[in-house]
Amino acid sequence: MQNSSHKVLVANRGEIAIRIVQACRMLGLDFVCVYTAEDEQSGHVRLAKETGGEKSLYRVSSYHDANEILAVADAAQATAIHPGYGFFAEDFRFARRVTQRERGLIFIGPSWRVIRELGDKINTKRLARSLGVPTVPGSDKPIYDEMEAEEVARSLFEFQKQCGTEQPTVLIKASAGGGGMGIEEVYDIDLFRSVYRRIRNYALRQFKDEGVLIEQRIRDFNHLEVQIVSDRSGQNPVHFGTRNCSIQSTGLQKRVEVAPGFDPSSLPYSFDAAQVLTDITEHSLALAREVRYDNVGTWEWIVARNGRPFLMEVNTRIQVENGVSAAIARIRGKRGVNLIAEQIRIGLGEPLGYTQEDITFEGLGIEYRIIAEDPTNRFTPSSGRIERFSWKEEPWLSMHTHVPTDAAYDIPTEFDPNLALGIVWGENLSQAQERGMDFLDHLTLDGVDSAGAPLKTNVGFLREKTARILQF
Amino acid sequence: MDIEKKLSFLKERLTYICDIFAGNHQEHIRILEHKVEEFSQRRESLDLQERIEAITAIEELFDFTERRLEEDLSSMDKVRIVRHPQRICLRDILENVYDNYTEIGGQKNKSIDPSMLIARAYVTRRHRGKTHHQSVMVIGQEKGHGEDFRNGGSVKPWGNARALQYMKVAETENIPIHTYIFTPGAYPVEDYPGAAQQIARNLYEMAALKVPVIAVFSEGGSGGAEAIGLADRRLMLSHGYYSVISPEGAAAIEGRLRRGERATPELIARCAEQLKITAQDNLRLGYIDKIVEEPPLGARPYHYEFFRNLRREVIRATDDVVLSTRAFAPLRARAARPDKSGEYDAEKFVVRWEVNGGAAEKLLLLRHEKFNKYSRGKCIDPRSVFKRMRQGVSGVVTDAYNTVKHDILGKPKKRIVSAVEEVEAETRVLFDGITGPFRKALCALGSKSSKAPAATEEALTALSDWEDGQRNGSWNYISPRAKEDRAVTCPNAKKQGCMDMWAPDLYGEFAGVCSNCGHHFPMEYKWFLWNVFDPNSVVEFNQEIEAGNPLEFENFDQRLIQAKEKTGLKSGCMTVDAAIQGTKLVAAILIADFRGGSVGVAEGEKFLLAVERAQKKRQPFLAYVHGTAGIRIQEGTNGVIQMPRCTMAVRRYLDAGGLYLVVYDTNSYAGPVASFLGCSPYQFAIRSSNVGFAGPGVIKETTGIDVPPNYQGAFKALSRGHIQGVWDRRELRENLNQALMTMGGRNLYYR
Repeated sequence: MQNSSHKVLVANRGEIAIRIVQACRMLGLDFVCVYTAEDEQSGHVRLAKETGGEKSLYRVSSYHDANEILAVADAAQATAIHPGYGFFAEDFRFARRVTQRERGLIFIGPSWRVIRELGDKINTKRLARSLGVPTVPGSDKPIYDEMEAEEVARSLFEFQKQCGTEQPTVLIKASAGGGGMGIEEVYDIDLFRSVYRRIRNYALRQFKDEGVLIEQRIRDFNHLEVQIVSDRSGQNPVHFGTRNCSIQSTGLQKRVEVAPGFDPSSLPYSFDAAQVLTDITEHSLALAREVRYDNVGTWEWIVARNGRPFLMEVNTRIQVENGVSAAIARIRGKRGVNLIAEQIRIGLGEPLGYTQEDITFEGLGIEYRIIAEDPTNRFTPSSGRIERFSWKEEPWLSMHTHVPTDAAYDIPTEFDPNLALGIVWGENLSQAQERGMDFLDHLTLDGVDSAGAPLKTNVGFLREKTARILQF
Repeated sequence: MDIEKKLSFLKERLTYICDIFAGNHQEHIRILEHKVEEFSQRRESLDLQERIEAITAIEELFDFTERRLEEDLSSMDKVRIVRHPQRICLRDILENVYDNYTEIGGQKNKSIDPSMLIARAYVTRRHRGKTHHQSVMVIGQEKGHGEDFRNGGSVKPWGNARALQYMKVAETENIPIHTYIFTPGAYPVEDYPGAAQQIARNLYEMAALKVPVIAVFSEGGSGGAEAIGLADRRLMLSHGYYSVISPEGAAAIEGRLRRGERATPELIARCAEQLKITAQDNLRLGYIDKIVEEPPLGARPYHYEFFRNLRREVIRATDDVVLSTRAFAPLRARAARPDKSGEYDAEKFVVRWEVNGGAAEKLLLLRHEKFNKYSRGKCIDPRSVFKRMRQGVSGVVTDAYNTVKHDILGKPKKRIVSAVEEVEAETRVLFDGITGPFRKALCALGSKSSKAPAATEEALTALSDWEDGQRNGSWNYISPRAKEDRAVTCPNAKKQGCMDMWAPDLYGEFAGVCSNCGHHFPMEYKWFLWNVFDPNSVVEFNQEIEAGNPLEFENFDQRLIQAKEKTGLKSGCMTVDAAIQGTKLVAAILIADFRGGSVGVAEGEKFLLAVERAQKKRQPFLAYVHGTAGIRIQEGTNGVIQMPRCTMAVRRYLDAGGLYLVVYDTNSYAGPVASFLGCSPYQFAIRSSNVGFAGPGVIKETTGIDVPPNYQGAFKALSRGHIQGVWDRRELRENLNQALMTMGGRNLYYR
């Protein structure tokens, strides 16, 4: 790293905080961590204590409080902030504030304009359409007029009938909504008006804006992602392959991620899977070039059963599953790609230093999210105490966790319930699956939940799903 | 016996003199005291004749002293006279001025508001052996010589509402109204409909009452006085006062006192002097028509000669008003005019007090002219005579042009358009009958190739046309506070858990609205000016009219200069031509930065000219109240008179079929809200703003009741029916456009 005078404030917790600290150490950068009272026992606090000493740790009342985080940044004389994922990662106002305040800092992530531009789903959809990138059929602007809305819905039903869709469905969503609020399905055009009015009134009450979006609801699909990396010039984005994140909990939270997105060499698909992967990476790169994307980001796609891809949204941050893409990627033939280190490096202004030709892919990676939850009961998270946690070290396995293996650990209830990420690499699908089962077989995760019963985990669910990965 | 009565009466008289001078003129008072004391001690030793002589001598001394003291009566002494329990009350007037009366709706404390007294009274005139009973509606505040339940003549909103109700009754019955003003001010409670709202309603209705209204001022305390004071003739008792604020209140403001602190008597006296509150001052300023002389040191219930005089003056004023509306009564009208000195003998001839048809119209015309002339020349108006004339002429031309365009040409045009539509529809039916079968056949042929899936898909996935004006929180005007790098705490942070916001976010993108709880921080008036009106549509007019210091209030000149320097404005009211989404309108903006947005002559004048402009142009009129603290006290009654004056202008505009919108932002209190703003049928408030009659401190001070939290909040104002909606600042433009499209009268240029 040419410029090692930087000091990075890690504005996050748990697994990602650990990996950011590790990446900083790898790059020879100074760092400072924050933690809340609940996280005193967390791995990132221990790691920071071990490697940076007490001076690299600041206690805060909340990871959400921008004023407190920035006060720490000033007190510790930090020059950059890494938001990790969640919290401030996709908050363009935070990014703007960090860079525009009197004592400006570097926001390690895309520039705030890019975050803002791609953070708005309508804007992203319109951008995509302007570039010919496929998007879900339907409106790309808020609709305020009932006649217009019905017209769009009618043609969506007609279109699905023409395509032979079994159960044509139209989605009505409040354009100002999000996170599953103000969204409803319609199965019949005759029911459209009543649902439309309900959503419109809800949107007016809730968001003071009665605009709605009307889209086709695609039911049977795989969830794919393209990992994009681009330096501050925004000129030459590269991709680090695709991932398939279709194995999810009932709450649509990812549980197993696989890179690459499809494996046509060993599995049969009803469509040209290799072509689909090429198409979505090309489309993603085109959009990245258009907005001059300047950090790491993930383009989320859904691929319908007939092989048609649709761009859903862009996540302008590093994602949990970055490790699985790194596992199969080689830069100039070398292993050991670390996307977080790449993110920090380019975030601080270094040029990328390689092109797409220098990036190759080898083998297949599976990432398991190990979580204390009950898959048989709608994935209800369990709280409690982990008493034993261990696994068998393997050269093809990398484990990321903030849970200690040498001491008991109380699972905090305030944050997301990920306990560990296990990334398995294999030369091909069957080897990866074997190694995955091997890893899960040797994993010990015991404890008691708050009621005193044995702690429930999702390991069984992960084993069951391993056989099915990458099958559409 | 008689002597004893006289003695106790003299003692009362002495207390009165003692009270009204509050420690001054002790030497005179001591002599009187001594004489009374001496007499009461030695009266036993005197015989009857000696007693009578002695007491007569003391009485004469009292008369002499009162005359003597009368000569150097200060303004503050008059205030004390007016407030004294021995001062005449409305019931004394009813007993002595009118020939008979019936109190309406109230016996002592059994009344909806015992401080407001309403009575049907009559005046009996005997003329050539015939007796004429002439009914009048008497309305006024009753202090009841200090009876507790009368609340000192401080009327609650429902008391004023009842006054209005009986004014309307008088209008129905076609009898004149005599109002008697004995109030230190309205009782500042916000219970339905709110003190301000009720006074505004009263003013609005009185502006068009089709019967003569005569007002007599004894104690005219600001808003409370205006509630029944809008009259065709305004008489004033010579020892009364008529003021924008009590001298104590003015002193509290002038001395910048905190709650609980008291102003010094000297400061209060100085304020009383400078506010020009006496009858003589107000006659000079032109806000009353005539003074009714009182006996030395003010009228008390035993001054029967005064009551006879008052009766004469009230009848004369009523005659005068009625005769001025008559087409043929030149000689009687001349005799009744108030500026004619000499005795007016009401018994000499009879004037019937009904006003009908054309006379009623003339009555209103004269009333409006009268108030329109008030306070002319009391602000700095550097518009040259030529310019004013040109503006006058162009006003007439605009008016004529619009009359031709909208009234004469517009209406037939509408009729033609609708006729054309009818014909078109008819022909289509006819045409369809002929060509229908052919088209059906054509459709049947072409139905197979109706719409290809590719075309449907194209329509569903191609980029649509869409222009979104204000996305990503980009505003035309960004507050200078958005340049500071600091965190701002929301006042609701404790209750709602709002995170501190970064000033550039809050004052920039968020438009001063807390992103968590929706609390609206005050913004600059420029934010409104540049973000609500269409870009480049704003043109200011009359900006040269400048706030002055008509009473030469001390230190006020400098403060005005400071305000002008600070804001770059010449008055607290900015009047502009503007447009909202293409709809042209006239707007008046009361700016909180300029002396709290207080309204004086200049502000009132600009407001009035703007209303008249909107009327001539057939445009909607918007009053945006960025904030107002009330009437500018340093201008005294010059300011107060803007309340009826501007309300009448608004009334003319609304009667002519306009649309008058009011939007309150930040804090709006007192006079303007209780008159020309509060009378609008379409009033809206920005969230987190306060609308009311008096600030919480004043309420606590005057009523002693603890003010509940958010007493004047916008939502409270909405709940009690004062305003018609609470708006989000960020949606102000859309909401105003909606209002322009859906509300208002028949006579707007775009209708």
